[in-house]
Amino acid sequence: MHKRFVVVLLLVGSVLTPGLSAAAQETIGVVRNSAGTATVTRGEQVLPAAAGTKLEAGDLLNTGSDGSLGVILRDHSTLSLGPGSRLILRSFAFSPVEGKFGLFFHLSRGTLSYLSGLIGKLAPESARFETPVASIGIRGTRFAMKVDE
Amino acid sequence: MSSSGASSGSHGIPRTLTACIIVLLLTSACVPSSSRGTFILLPDDNGKTGAILVSDKEGERFLTEPRQAVRVAPGTPPGKPFVMSEKEVLATVGPALEALPKPPVSFLLYFKHDSTELTEESLAMVRDVVRTIRERPPVDISVVGHSDTIGDRPYNYRLSLKRAQAIAALLVAEGVDPSILEITSHGKDNPLVPTGDQVHEPRNRRVEVTVR
Repeated sequence: MHKRFVVVLLLVGSVLTPGLSAAAQETIGVVRNSAGTATVTRGEQVLPAAAGTKLEAGDLLNTGSDGSLGVILRDHSTLSLGPGSRLILRSFAFSPVEGKFGLFFHLSRGTLSYLSGLIGKLAPESARFETPVASIGIRGTRFAMKVDE
Repeated sequence: MSSSGASSGSHGIPRTLTACIIVLLLTSACVPSSSRGTFILLPDDNGKTGAILVSDKEGERFLTEPRQAVRVAPGTPPGKPFVMSEKEVLATVGPALEALPKPPVSFLLYFKHDSTELTEESLAMVRDVVRTIRERPPVDISVVGHSDTIGDRPYNYRLSLKRAQAIAALLVAEGVDPSILEITSHGKDNPLVPTGDQVHEPRNRRVEVTVR
């Protein structure tokens, strides 16, 4: 009886609070600025990475030789790519209510800078960047990296 | 870029190569032989420097100093950390740093008990919120309602949603485009000040506005 009530509550909760549920299509951040050639690839779709574009886990961000872009993530961290960069937003979780935190992005080429946000404060060990040569654990604030092919 | 020079001419190669590509896709275990990485720890705008841990299969380096950097080549441990000049930092990652957005700005607006009416102080703060929005044409504003723990969850969920909607309406009245507003409710589940259940706590009766 009690269990059934909890399940109903959870269902109601997930319908009423799309911002809270860990659905695959959840927005994890938003493009704040971009210049030159900058795109978001989502499945088969290639979208221009215009300011205001909402980002989802799994998205691939690309910049051309004249491109750059800046992103604000849901935990208030910020991230940017310089020209000729390729970043996959593998996974991202930020739900303090459920105690769920995680950031796992892969830079395969180009340059990136990052300023940590609430995940950095609440669960720094859950944020990680990968590159073809090394993996970066973040214990706070700002860093930058460059991957040459 | 190309690294197809090393041929030992046997039937095994294409299969090994395929296996390698599959492994690369799954785990990035096969490092493209020409990739190189440079990793630089930087102070933030307040002059504070955190720390990063750079690791590969061969070893790891912990960077803690401003502009401390490490280079990594495939198949070798990360190199010896060194301090980069500001000039070299800009030459290496300048355009990326230039594209880094300003962090979002958050405001906490507080409410009277069991009400969607703002406290006097918070009513005055709405002006700061509007000024920030005008100074920084935002791409996205999140408005999240919260309550204290008096009452049950569904009731507080609705109360917090009404609080968020009241603030959103205030912002729209100030000319904010409704399509960039993201309104959500956390009810009693995300207190700013953790308390037991059924506890009056004015600091938990709030709406958090984040201007991105």
